[in-house]
Formats: sequence, structure tokens, C-alpha cells
Amino acid sequence: MRVVVADDSVLLREGIVRLLEEAGFDVVAQAGDAEDLIRKVSAHKPDVAVVDIRMPPTNTDDGLQAALEIRRRVPGTGVLVLSQYVEEGYALGLVGDRPDGTGYLLKHRVAEVERFVEAVRRVGEGGSALDPEVISHLVGRARRGDPLAALTDREREVLALMAEGRSNQAIAEQLVVTERAVEKHVTSIFGKLDLPPAPEDHRRVLAVLRFLRA
Amino acid sequence: MRSLRWALIGLGVAGLVAGAIPLALAIATEEGHQRTLLAIFGPLTGWAFIGTGIFAWLRRPDNGVGPLMTALGFAECMAALRVSTEPWVFITGLVFITLQWALLYHLLLAFPNGRLGTRLEIGLVAVTYVSAAVAHPVQVLFQDTTRRGLPENPLLITGDPDVVSTLGRGRFWLGLALVAALGVLLLLRWRAASAPQRRVLAPVLVSGGLVMALLAAWYAAVLAYADESLVQTLEDARIVVLATVPFAFLAGLLRSRVAEATAISRLVARLGDPSERRHGLRDTLADSLGDPTLALAYWLPDRKEYVDAAGQRIELPEPGSGRVCSPVESGGRRIGAIIHNGHLANERELVRAVGAAAALTLENERLDAELRANMEELKSSRARIVESGDAARRRLERDLHDGAQQRLVSLALSLRLARARVEDGSEAARELDSARRELEQALEELLELARGLHPSVLSDRGLDAALEGLANRARLPVELVRTPGERLPERVESTAYFVVAEALTNVAKYADATHATVQVERVDGQVVVEVRDDGVGGAEPAKGSGLRGLVDRVAAMDGRLEVDSQPGRGTTVRAWIPCG
Repeated sequence: MRVVVADDSVLLREGIVRLLEEAGFDVVAQAGDAEDLIRKVSAHKPDVAVVDIRMPPTNTDDGLQAALEIRRRVPGTGVLVLSQYVEEGYALGLVGDRPDGTGYLLKHRVAEVERFVEAVRRVGEGGSALDPEVISHLVGRARRGDPLAALTDREREVLALMAEGRSNQAIAEQLVVTERAVEKHVTSIFGKLDLPPAPEDHRRVLAVLRFLRA
Repeated sequence: MRSLRWALIGLGVAGLVAGAIPLALAIATEEGHQRTLLAIFGPLTGWAFIGTGIFAWLRRPDNGVGPLMTALGFAECMAALRVSTEPWVFITGLVFITLQWALLYHLLLAFPNGRLGTRLEIGLVAVTYVSAAVAHPVQVLFQDTTRRGLPENPLLITGDPDVVSTLGRGRFWLGLALVAALGVLLLLRWRAASAPQRRVLAPVLVSGGLVMALLAAWYAAVLAYADESLVQTLEDARIVVLATVPFAFLAGLLRSRVAEATAISRLVARLGDPSERRHGLRDTLADSLGDPTLALAYWLPDRKEYVDAAGQRIELPEPGSGRVCSPVESGGRRIGAIIHNGHLANERELVRAVGAAAALTLENERLDAELRANMEELKSSRARIVESGDAARRRLERDLHDGAQQRLVSLALSLRLARARVEDGSEAARELDSARRELEQALEELLELARGLHPSVLSDRGLDAALEGLANRARLPVELVRTPGERLPERVESTAYFVVAEALTNVAKYADATHATVQVERVDGQVVVEVRDDGVGGAEPAKGSGLRGLVDRVAAMDGRLEVDSQPGRGTTVRAWIPCG
């Protein structure tokens, strides 16, 4: 799987590159700022770009803007954004109305190597990866007229893990239940959220969006 | 003063001679131009102007009216020379015939303080002088006076009636326009004048205005080719009425002396009257001087600048702007200035006298203004301290994220990579795992610390996003009822953010609430922040240092913060932050 890594901190960027290469990824280019990143992604057409949010030139959310630009200009490229701190607004802005091929992780997650590598791979394959801390904030927030009110606690848990981008099998492992049980929850969630009939993959995306926008 | 008196006596003698010459000429001349009328009124009017002018000059040496009246008297005497049949004497009189009207025009606009107030007035008077001293003499060069049965014109270049008629008509049209402008200006001045000022203006405006009106009517009659006898009658009437004008000016000047004395004594009485104090010095002075636009400026010696009553720096009016500034001193020290209309009927002297009478009160108000100015300074320095504190926190937060965090994360990465090369279960593996856990803990703490210093999201994405984050992170359900929906000035955003953050922290710690609402909206130039919970109430800003700090912080932005927290009825924290 071909990857472009963008981070203005050389130290960290080299670390991420080494880690990804050891995990078997092909790091085709590295970038130190937002413009450099867009140029290299357009040139190399990688499967996934790993992008630090805070980068030159303005050192605010240039990385996020570049990620959105990549999603517009080079569709099919997954973008995994790394953020110094949790900001649901960033995550939701990145996901937009199609979570496929997007990821948003806290920066220090890269030290949790297996999880990070798994997230990069998932985003590169067109899946999604949202930081559990973002998800827990979204679960924690309370608003009137919450469409998720009808869900049971277990179903919320399953939906939150779906939003992180996990497969049914991974969810089953995490919750220590059978995959069959997870499927039942998923079907029930689709019903309660009143999702229109569609292929399973698409309904999953819709459910996650419903969850993120709640 | 003494030398002035001698000079004026000399001028008086010269005036007597100047009037006697045309009188003698009129008696000696059998068939001079307008003989009877000029013989009587020329010298009479000239002497009257010179006499009253010198009198006014003596009484009010700093007032320009006296010199102007004297000059007008001499001009009248010179113009009366046209009674002569001697060509050179006659033509001298003819050349001077228009100058007196320009001088009268000037006098009417400059009365009673002898100065022209605005650039418009200066311009009008200048045009009048140019018309009288240039256009008219040029016209004379082409005027064949013998055609009208007058003495010969020794200055004649060529007797061209067309040139004379064109120049004359042009000058008359201009004269009409100038008199119309004068009428409007005098009318406006009359309308703006107070009752005592009107008493001063009335005699001058009536007689002077009548003369100018007769002059305008004469211009109009000539331009309209009216009957010769009508033109002659208008001219005669003008010459007669002009003789009353010097006495009207004198009456006006004397009345203005009385008006001044009245104004000052009334002012002194009012300054001493406790019931008047609530009006403030400015209103009292504006009333006494009959200038509603009057303003006071207080001198701050330390800063070497003038401030208004609120302590705000003000600029004094430029010369020629129609506003005049009279300094007020007390014991030789500058304490302030009175800024007033240039037309102030009671002139500078009066303003100075009024200033002297009001000096003590002004000094008191000056001290107030100084205090306010210092308070303003204090307020803005407090705001600057808060802002520089904010800036320092922002820098620190950025440094933590961009420096320490990056290094710690890459250190964690190295540890993981090292761990992968070590066999599970070995001593080294245990050490590395424990180091990694420590490091993760440190990272978490670092992130918490950075967020507490300053939320990056606030600078990056604004108050709406930052409030959303606060609501999401809160330990109880928080509803964002309303947020501004636009970027606000940085210091307003950060103050509003810290109010909400601190209030929500308090709710979570003490309120025992099930629900809180947050509302931030921009209303009438301020941002209103409200955090409301359904908890136990009883919060007191005086006790909790968090709320106390908020009160100070909001006050530094010139805003205010209220806490409404009755036991058992929840708590509402409300802040108003000015936002231009």
C-alpha cells in the first residue's frame, strides 16, 4: 500500500515513516507543508495520505484544508488526519457526507503502533477511522431531539465502534460477543434509525453519519 | 495706551480736514455733481464715521470695529470729492465711490467683535474688496464722464460705452449676489442669537441692512434700466440712511458692553448658586454666553494635552474653522480652554472675563477630568495586561503542542520500535513497557495542560467551535441554545470562552445539576454570555476564586458579570462584554 506522510516536524515524520515501512507500507513521498503535500499527492496518487493538521504556512488547520482539497481533487485517495487535540468540528468537517476513506486520530496514537497501522490500512482501503476519544465526546453530548434516543446502551456501543470504522468481527472481539450477536444489533440499529433499504455497506455509512450528525 | 490716544487725536484732526475739503469744494462749486446732497451728507457721514470710529477705538482698543468705522469715514470723505468740477479731484472721488460699500460690508460681517469668523466670510469680504478696489477703478479708465454732463475724466484711455456697461453690469450682478449672501448670513446670525445678543445686533442690522438693501435695489434698478428718477431716488435715500449707520454701530457697541457686564454678573451669581451646580459648568457657560455649541477643554499638565469632561483627549479647533479657543488661566497656570463659536456676539474679552469668573469651578472640573483620564488609562492598561497574558498563554500552548508534544510522541514511537526488537517477557521488555506507559500518561497530562492554557480551536476556528467543544467535554448534558455564528474580536472571543468554561466547571463541581444551557449572542454592540443550570444554587462570586477571577477578567474588558444563584433555584451566570 502506497503512502504519503506530511508533518512539519522532521523527527516525528521520520519516526512515522520508519514505523509504516516496518509494517510493510510503501512510503512514496514525504511533505513538510500543505502545498508540498497537495503537490506530492497529485503526483504520486498514493492510496492514503497521513497528514498533520497543524502545518505551515499558517500553522493553524492547513493540514485539514489540504486534506479536504485532496478529497476534492484526487478522489479515491484516503486521508488520515492527525490532530494535537480532540476537536469534533475538525473530524466532522473532514468526514463531510462521506466517511469512506477518511480518518481522524489524535497525534499521540501513532505510538500505539498496531492501532495506528490498522487505521492507516483501513483508510487506505476506503474505510474510516475515527479516534475513540472523538467518538466518546460525540456519545457524551446531549441534545434535545436526539435521534439516537431510541437505541439501547449496547446498540450505542456497537454504533460507536462502527463509527470508529471497525468491522463486525472487530466489534465482536472488542465487546466479547459473537459476530452473530453484533449482526443482530446492527440490523436493529438500521431499523431504529429508519434507514432506507440499501446494500449493507452503504447503510453502515448512513448509520455512522446519522450518529456523527446527531 | 497713551501713544494710541495721541495717534487717535491726530487721526481725528486728519478726519476734520478730510471732511472739510469736500465741504469747501461743494460751497465753492456752482454746478457740481449731486451738489446739495453731497455737500451736506458727504462730510457729515464721513465725520460721523470717523468720530464714532475713533471713540469706539479708544474704548475698545482690541476690537476691530473702531478702525473699520474710521476707515469707512475717510473713504466717505474721499468719495465726496466727486462734487468738485476740477477733473483730477473729481476723478479721485469717483474712484473712491465704491470703497465705502466694501468697508460697510466688512463691518456688518465683523460686528461686534471686529473679526471675521469663517472662511466663507473672509472669502466674501475679499471678493467685495477686489470688486471695489480693482474692478471699479478699471471701469473708470473707460468711462467718458462728459457724456453725462460731468467733469472730464483725465484717466480716460478710450471712451467706450460698451466696455463701461459690460464691466458695470458685471460688477452690479456680483454686488447683488454678495448682498444676498450677506443677508442670509446676517439672518442666520440673528436666528442663532440670544435675547441679549439681539439687543446688541438690532440697531446695526436694521440701519446697516437697510443701506445694503437700498444698494441692492439700486443695482437692480440700474440693471433693469429703470426710470432715471427712481435710480436717483434710491441713490439719494442710500446716502441719507448711511448717515445713521455710525450711530447704530456705536449704540450696538455700547450695548454689547452692557450685555457683557450683565452676562458676567449673571454667571457669577449662577456659579455661586448650589441649585445650578447640577447643570454643570459647560451648560451654565453655554447659557451665559449664548453659544449652545460651547465646549470646555481641561488641561492635563502631566500629559501636555487637553481632555474633555470624560477624560478623552480632544483637539483644539484650527484657526479659520469658525470655532475659537480661549484659554483659561488661574494664578498664572493654564487650567483649560473655552471652545466657542467665532461669532460669539460678546467678544473674546468677554469670554476671557467669563473664563476668569469660572476659573475656580473649571479647576474643580479639571481635577475630575484628570481623574477620569487616569481611570481611562488604568482601564486600558488593565485590558492590555489581560491581553498580554492571553497572548503569553497562546504562545505557551503552541510551544507545548509544536515542541514538547512532538518530541514526546516521537520518543514514544522510538520506544515502540525498540520494544518490537526485544523479546517478550525479558527484563528489557518490562522496562520498555513501563516507560511507554509513563510516557503516555505524561502526554495525556501535557494535552490537558495545553488545553487549560488556551484552546487552540478558539484561535483556529472561533468561538462557535470552541463552545461546541466545551459542551461536548462537559460532565453533564449542556445545550448550546445560541452562539454568535460569526468571528468576534479575539479578546472578546477569549473572554466569552473563559466565562463559559469557568461557569461550566463550577456547575460540574458544585451545582449538582442535571442540565445546563449556554447562550452567547451579540446584542447592541455587546456580547451577552449566559450559562444557566438547574442545580442547587447558592453560588457566591466573593467566595469562589474562579467566579471572582471571571468578574475581574470581564471588568478588564469594560464589561460586567452577574451571578444569580438563589438556593434551590439554579445558577445563572451572565456577562456583558463590549464588542464595538
